[in-house]
Amino acid sequence: MTDHPDLPDDDVAGLAAADSLRLIREQQARARAALGPDGRALYGAWGVAWLAGYLVLWFSAQGREQPEPWAYWVFGGALAAALVFTMLHTMTRTAGTRGVSARTGAMYGWAWMLGFLTFSAFLGGLARAGADGELMGLASNGGACLVVGLLYLGGAVAFGDRSLFVLGAWILLVAAAATLAGLPLTYLVMAFAGGGGFLAMAAVEHLRVVRRRRRAGVGSGTAADTGADRD
Amino acid sequence: MTDALDPVIHAPARLRVVATLAALDAGDELSFPRLQKLLDMTAGNLSTHLRKLEDAGYVRVTKTHEGRTPVTYLALAPKGRRAFEDYQEALTGLLRGAGS
Repeated sequence: MTDHPDLPDDDVAGLAAADSLRLIREQQARARAALGPDGRALYGAWGVAWLAGYLVLWFSAQGREQPEPWAYWVFGGALAAALVFTMLHTMTRTAGTRGVSARTGAMYGWAWMLGFLTFSAFLGGLARAGADGELMGLASNGGACLVVGLLYLGGAVAFGDRSLFVLGAWILLVAAAATLAGLPLTYLVMAFAGGGGFLAMAAVEHLRVVRRRRRAGVGSGTAADTGADRD
Repeated sequence: MTDALDPVIHAPARLRVVATLAALDAGDELSFPRLQKLLDMTAGNLSTHLRKLEDAGYVRVTKTHEGRTPVTYLALAPKGRRAFEDYQEALTGLLRGAGS
């Protein structure tokens, strides 16, 4: 199973070996791309939703205490669209897979669901206790951001994804800054720092894909790339 | 020239099957239709190759039901993962030996 440098038809063997290694690289790149969610699409969708949704809230809150009701509908619609897209995309990509990764992914999905269900009960409790106006605005935005940031940190641990950890830490910073900024500035912070953070992640993911594709295409002939490609 | 290479894996179709399953994390399985789509192979052709891989102990085949539909899941067995690593090492060795 080791080298045979003194075989007469070395060149032929070498050529065949190069072909086989390329076949392996191409097939594995294809499998990984098809079976995992596309980070660019997911981060892009949430980046656009936050940027557009929070900008609408900010514009609508100009010269008044609160954004107008229609602005909340636009904002809610943008987030709902991103959520539906995320679920459909993830379900399509991971269809037909089962095992450890599928279980981890399902638990992660439930963690989001439970986090936001609890958070809406928390907001309901605040409202019942008499919170309104700026207090509710800040609590709902900063709080949601806090939940998102913590879940990203958890996801980074679960999937061994360092850039997701950086995003989680950034979103926590956004939660703090947005709450300290007060209304209506908080919406602007969420739009540009929050939405911008997602869009920056989409760009990082794109660079990763380009780099991986270049390595799979004109690789150096190493065969070490059998594990999950996360850094 | 290739008696150093594992004959079970050293056939393009089976090499692609093994490479695809090796791209999964350990402990993960892939359904037959999904694997077939990733490989662009006919069901009959894929079944034939999978049987050879299963006979060699390289691939684990699990037949189950989801609702009423029978589903077959495939995964690389530990022996298959080792064989695939050995095979890649052998290829790299050949490349180095050929001076390219």
